[in-house]
Amino acid sequence: MGLSKKVKKLAIIDACVDTPEEIILAADLVPHRLFGDPSLPHSAADEHVPPTHCVWTRNILEQGLRGLPGDIAGLLSIHGCDCTNRQFDIWLDSVKADFMYFLNSPLKRNNTALKFFSEDLKEFALQLEEYFKVEITDEKLHESIVLMNKIRETLKTISEFRNKMILKYSELHELLKLVLTSDKSQALKICEDKLEELKTRDSFSESHLKRILLTGSVLDDTSFIKQLENTGFHIVIDDLCLGTHYFWNTIEESGDPIKAIAQYHLEKPIYSTKVPSHARYEYMKTLIDAYSVEGVVNIAQKFCESVLYDHPFLKTKFKELNIPYLFVEKEYNREAYKQLSTRFDAFAEII
Amino acid sequence: MSTEEEPKRRKVLDATLGLKNIMGRHFLAIEQAYRDGKPTAWATSGTPVELLYTMDVQPMLPENSATVSAAQHLSKNFIEIAEEQGFSYDLCSYFKTNIGAVAENAEMIKGGTRKPTFMLSSDVICDTHVDWFQTQAERMKVPHFTIDVPHIVSNTNQRQYEYYKKYVSEQLWELMDFIEVHTGHKLDIEKAKKVARNSYELGTLWQEIFDLRKNIPCPVSTRDTFGGLFPLFTMTGLKAPIRLYKRMYREAKERVDDGIGALREEKYRLAFEGIPFWYNLKFFSKLEQWGAIIVYETYTYAFSKYVNPNVTEQMVISKPIEAMSELMLKFWYIYDLQTRIKKYKEMVDEWKVDGVLLHNNMSCRPNSCGLYDLKRHLQEDYDIPCLIIDCDMNDPRKMNETQLENKLSSFFELLEQRK
Repeated sequence: MGLSKKVKKLAIIDACVDTPEEIILAADLVPHRLFGDPSLPHSAADEHVPPTHCVWTRNILEQGLRGLPGDIAGLLSIHGCDCTNRQFDIWLDSVKADFMYFLNSPLKRNNTALKFFSEDLKEFALQLEEYFKVEITDEKLHESIVLMNKIRETLKTISEFRNKMILKYSELHELLKLVLTSDKSQALKICEDKLEELKTRDSFSESHLKRILLTGSVLDDTSFIKQLENTGFHIVIDDLCLGTHYFWNTIEESGDPIKAIAQYHLEKPIYSTKVPSHARYEYMKTLIDAYSVEGVVNIAQKFCESVLYDHPFLKTKFKELNIPYLFVEKEYNREAYKQLSTRFDAFAEII
Repeated sequence: MSTEEEPKRRKVLDATLGLKNIMGRHFLAIEQAYRDGKPTAWATSGTPVELLYTMDVQPMLPENSATVSAAQHLSKNFIEIAEEQGFSYDLCSYFKTNIGAVAENAEMIKGGTRKPTFMLSSDVICDTHVDWFQTQAERMKVPHFTIDVPHIVSNTNQRQYEYYKKYVSEQLWELMDFIEVHTGHKLDIEKAKKVARNSYELGTLWQEIFDLRKNIPCPVSTRDTFGGLFPLFTMTGLKAPIRLYKRMYREAKERVDDGIGALREEKYRLAFEGIPFWYNLKFFSKLEQWGAIIVYETYTYAFSKYVNPNVTEQMVISKPIEAMSELMLKFWYIYDLQTRIKKYKEMVDEWKVDGVLLHNNMSCRPNSCGLYDLKRHLQEDYDIPCLIIDCDMNDPRKMNETQLENKLSSFFELLEQRK
């Protein structure tokens, strides 16, 4: 199928942040992560996926079935959980974007997995080259790695303003969503401007806010984050894909760029879909100490198995650590959020 | 032929009754291993149990133990114990049965299991297998090895398939190193060949039994296959189950030669997709009231393993690691949607199936994902009647029998109209 020159975006389905954005940028495309839309009923997705499947993946599928925006040239889906993995065939069968690739981001984190992931990234690059008639050179990859590293470093500096009680997570959350859908040069400029502006801001006056660490599933609805904040929490740090996982590390800028990208993804903070997911606790423990966290809130999207399996382990561990811990399973619609207020209020009181 | 003149028929094969002895032998082997201080391992289905037997490690499969609990109506209690520990109502009912059984220190004959030397899991079938063993390995403080199997989708190409295979092979070599470290046992090539040969023979015998089910009337029902499946999971690589399957085959062949079916009057031939409801196997017998017999189950056929045409007997013996990698990447249970539709169509034709029952297993996401699309394609593209049944493999709370019977009744009315 031919391509219009105007079409430049590659849609991303990613249950974490394992997308090799650098390769997409080197192919002169804009990575455009798909976010859920909680206002959307799942009428089309219900024809394909049983109602007992992850609400977030069903919501993303719903958007695909209703039709992706015209400037989307193709789609990349990343190996996440059973739902994202198995639903890819439904996308192939019923959504039919012009270019579709399933990237097998490995479950494990060792040298064998690194070699395999490098192979799969090379194959992805090759298929992009073949389909979009572009050349992905080491120079272009290097340029995009440098650009993405600048974005990550700037975001990490911005994130630190949470600790200074200057920035709320909801604001960072909105910024991250913008970065994940924008041209990356523009995104860097937006981040740099935000950083300059934050330097001039005073800290919040609300001293009563409880300092929490937020963890859980893909939480991409900023209004939910705002609701949590309005209950009296300050999300001083997080263990989330749309959070520290996106910018905590940077990519090695020398050597084989594909291998460096693979290495980066295998070394960044781990998510519940990978092994050993219990290592997520060790990362959180470090953050709890570093950011004087008073409580941990773990939010699972309804039917998000990866997070549901980890919950009892985390509950035990945080109890041993004597850190208040709240686990909540949430639906993916804003009406249902309201019912959670009582639980958030009660948790704020016990911290 | 009048009823009086007909040869004596039995719904269950006599050979299948020997299954109890085989299962007993498996449990005794586990007990013996503990008495002798021999290493043991938990393994998830889809992992190469043959490697464990080869390296003289006694395997235990908690999934099978979970089905044993369900068959004795014990799974609900175990599941509720797991839920009290914080595991969600929506999580895998096999997993929760195992959590409860371990917490209760249940006997092996009730679905309990024992602390192993190590655990072996893989994501080839589901993520749950990995999360399950991660949880239990952490609780029991035993080492855990996971085989990461890349997910094949409808547009995976041959180039990708080759490096996927290499990745799985490399992990199998690592697994052997892992076993050696934790047991001191080394790989014995001659034993490996013997185990591989046995495994191949067991799998292909099972396929031959299935081939006999293409006959009208069908000589073998789910009364034989659901239980008969047990050795394919737990004892593949051993001689004893081969003898059992040979007896099953001979008896089924006799029925075919004599024109005898497992059902007296076979009216409808059905295929069943998914895992059976282990706590209510009687449900499948109820189909007989409509003159229906299940002649093919993808689940029980899948674990015959050797359905990948790239894997020959010669390859299994001379290149066992390559063969195991191929087998882990391609089998019925994990086919991509396009392949699944194609294979279904072939199966419906070969086994002369009138309709397909699709189990929407509420606590098994990989099993139920793609089911609606499979149904749509089979109905719209090939005019194959399908019925989706919402239920669960091990959690009786999720079965609504009255609703199920009503749905089936309507389905058989539809099949009747098509006759």
